[in-house]
Amino acid sequence: MADNVTIIGAETLVSGEIRGDQNILVRGRIDGRVSITSTLTVEDGAILQADVDAEAVLISGVVVGNVSASGHVRLSSKARVVGDVTAPRVIVESGAAYRGRLEMGEVGTTAASRSASRRASESEGAEVPGRALPRVQSPSRAVSVSGSPAVRPATPPRVATANRPAPPSLPRVSAAGGDAARPAWSKKKLHRRR
Amino acid sequence: MAKQEKEKSMGNTVISTGIVIDGEVSGEEPLTVLGTVKGKISTTQTLEVEPGATVEADIEAQSLSIGGRVTGNVNARERVEVRSNGKMIGDIKTPRIVIADGAAFKGNVDMDV
Repeated sequence: MADNVTIIGAETLVSGEIRGDQNILVRGRIDGRVSITSTLTVEDGAILQADVDAEAVLISGVVVGNVSASGHVRLSSKARVVGDVTAPRVIVESGAAYRGRLEMGEVGTTAASRSASRRASESEGAEVPGRALPRVQSPSRAVSVSGSPAVRPATPPRVATANRPAPPSLPRVSAAGGDAARPAWSKKKLHRRR
Repeated sequence: MAKQEKEKSMGNTVISTGIVIDGEVSGEEPLTVLGTVKGKISTTQTLEVEPGATVEADIEAQSLSIGGRVTGNVNARERVEVRSNGKMIGDIKTPRIVIADGAAFKGNVDMDV
């Protein structure tokens, strides 16, 4: 294991804010906010109830919250994600469950530019009904937002195929994964700090 | 070799250098801090605060080993060790305590005598 990896172990809960410039590997649980300048990996069995801002985000566990990356976001086949995802490149593998709004292309990672782009897309008219009815944007729209041609062949079709069928039953965080295998704290009711 | 030993001794949860946690860390497994934690730490296992780490938190643990800088009150069920490069400001409540030569400590010690 490399020296500069932060690991949140399977039986650990962090509630609050995590900042930094090193990679983070989550096997346990985080409630709050994660904001780093490198890679966040959410392993199978981990639960994040947090807004995430990172360079790259690799999700195999459960994430409830908005995810924003300056590089890419990958939802692997075991991922369960509820929340908005913003990144230049988004990969959704077959089997992933996702509900939320997906925004690809050259989008800044600051909150200001996010809200600016959201305002811009909402002002385009009735096509995007707003946040009350989150849905995955159609691939053609995503391409029009995308500024990077290299992204076009791969990602939009995947998003389309992975999300066209009726979305898999959405993650209920407390029930995700095998309950029996979980540490005691994760069976407790989810709560936000404060 | 030395590196391997270090990795072996590291807890299952590691807060590495360059990471700041603002809030509460709680768990049921060994925890190693090399970065910064502000708020509260509670674990049913060992907590290691390595040299270079900064902890500004109230701590509850089975045993605590301090090589870095700790500010806050400590309650350890088994033991507390302040190593030679450790700095500790706050009260300690524990049945056994070791303060090495060179360590800095300011606060009360309650050993239940």
